[in-house]
Amino acid sequence: MANLPTKFSQFLFEQSTEKEREWLEEKVKSNVLDLMTAFVAAPRFLSKKNISYDSKFSGSLVPEHPGFEVDGWSFVRLARVWLLLHIPSGPKEQFLKNIETLFDTAELNELVALYSALPLLAYPLEWLPRATDAVRSNMGFVFDAIALRNPYAELYFPESAWNQLVLKTIFNGKPIHLILGIDRRRNKELSIAVSDFMDERSAAGRRVPIQVWRLMGGASDEVLHSKLIPLFSSESKLEKEAAALLAFESKDPKIRSLLANEPDLELSIQNGDLDWSKLESIPE
Amino acid sequence: MCQKEIHQTKNPSHFESADLREDSPTHRDILWEDYEHLIKDMRFFDPHIHMVSRTTDDYQMMAKAGIVAIIEPAFWVGQPRTGLASFKDYYSSLVGWERFRSSQFGIKHYCTMGLNSREANNERLAEEVMEILPLFAYKEGVVGIGEIGFDDQTALEEKYYRLQLELAKKTSLPVQIHTPHRDKKRGTERSMSIALEHGLDPSWVVVDHNNEETVKSVLDQGFWAAFTIYPFTKMGNERMVSVVEQYGSERIMINSSADWGISDPLAIPKTAALMKQRGIPLEVIRMVTYQNAIDAFAKSGQIDVADFETEFQPDPNAKFHGNSILRGGQQPVVNKNSLLIQ
Ligand SMILES: [Zn+2]
Repeated sequence: MANLPTKFSQFLFEQSTEKEREWLEEKVKSNVLDLMTAFVAAPRFLSKKNISYDSKFSGSLVPEHPGFEVDGWSFVRLARVWLLLHIPSGPKEQFLKNIETLFDTAELNELVALYSALPLLAYPLEWLPRATDAVRSNMGFVFDAIALRNPYAELYFPESAWNQLVLKTIFNGKPIHLILGIDRRRNKELSIAVSDFMDERSAAGRRVPIQVWRLMGGASDEVLHSKLIPLFSSESKLEKEAAALLAFESKDPKIRSLLANEPDLELSIQNGDLDWSKLESIPE
Repeated sequence: MCQKEIHQTKNPSHFESADLREDSPTHRDILWEDYEHLIKDMRFFDPHIHMVSRTTDDYQMMAKAGIVAIIEPAFWVGQPRTGLASFKDYYSSLVGWERFRSSQFGIKHYCTMGLNSREANNERLAEEVMEILPLFAYKEGVVGIGEIGFDDQTALEEKYYRLQLELAKKTSLPVQIHTPHRDKKRGTERSMSIALEHGLDPSWVVVDHNNEETVKSVLDQGFWAAFTIYPFTKMGNERMVSVVEQYGSERIMINSSADWGISDPLAIPKTAALMKQRGIPLEVIRMVTYQNAIDAFAKSGQIDVADFETEFQPDPNAKFHGNSILRGGQQPVVNKNSLLIQ
């Protein structure tokens, strides 16, 4: 299969026993129906372990998608994605039908594997309705599979769907920094929605997760300015740091000048000691 | 009570015929208070029950009566399905929502997957179903291919029965055979001989809905013999006690086949109580109401008794795909004796 990354296979086989490798290799030599069945049957033939991650593969499993990480996946999920990449992509109509059938008959863990594979499958735009559906899903694991560490949304979601994904991640209390492209796809609409959300929370006497602030970078200078003043005087160290980062990123002199009162923070940003990743909460 | 009239006015399920010969009056209702003490500390496994047709009340009573695990065979929903999508949704519910709902009452839920004999007669649809069946047969918690076999004993029924026996071989899953009600004896023999013809090991095949007429041959040929305790039709539990007295416990199991018809999800505990009353040894009762079903279906590699033998507390906060069975503020256990519904 042409678009199957070599390192992906290499990594999979490093995790497999000899018997598992034989089973996997035999299945991909088989006909499509057997291959699809193998996708379902994988837990009957493969170990249920979680894969141990080796840093040498970090960011390189799929070279064109450096954000595609499989850390913390189950071995079965990894194998299922690999099996999917062997379904012949032509003729197109047949390929679409095969993948749709797997979606229609999938149970939870199969759905997770299917969504994980979306950025690697042929005809990526065809999966857009499925992908936006997954964002609407109540199934936590399915949502995570499309929203976190998955390059698909950044690449193919239109702005409104992208913003929904980000907002829902915030609402679900999930780590937004695991959304690939979260900084690259900042936009004004999203900043407005996030700003409203923060107002709502503060009216209810609640704080927002600190990471949410990074999304405010796309807001208008005026809105940002009005938000940053109270944030700089917050008692929370994290909130002050977030304010400093936003001010530092801004091109507006009035906003930049807010940083003048916080020379220590400015210095640590300049030195690269403070960036958004330092404010990340540890994902569960 | 006039049995005949009941037959004519009840809608039969599981393909009952109106043939009264084999359905002598047998089922006896017992009140919970009357048999509660008899089955205290017993554990039951119902290897054939259609929970999608049952209520949460049933689950609560079943759990209370000691039913710890069940198998839900894929079957006829009472009216023919008109498209593949309905099959997909039905099969998905067996491994999905229904399994979750069951777990909320502390009952471990397994299922068997198959195209039922009645719908095998719709060839166009049957072909489509056969294409997706392997995708469901391999799912986690699927313990067999079932229930399959004959209804009208048509050529199409035979065709899809054979194809599904092959699927069972390929997937290394036990087979659960639904035997027909009309022309039962011949249908049962035919089901068994076709299974043997396909090279199935009879110890991998559960022949269901037996009666006094079929049991000997089923056991003699090495198959598992399952009996369905179903009010007014099929087996009654008093007859069942006699069968166990005569044949012992080897390769015999009891189920309720409770479904959308007038049926009884407590058929197993009630029959166990009756057996106890009649002085059948505890170990024999345990075999036919629990252990044999596990032994037969555990060949699938999908049953881990630790899932239901160790004390199990359902997690009332668990959700299935983000949905709970409990509506706002409801508690998972309701006092059924309370007049007030709060
Ligand atoms: Zn049934």
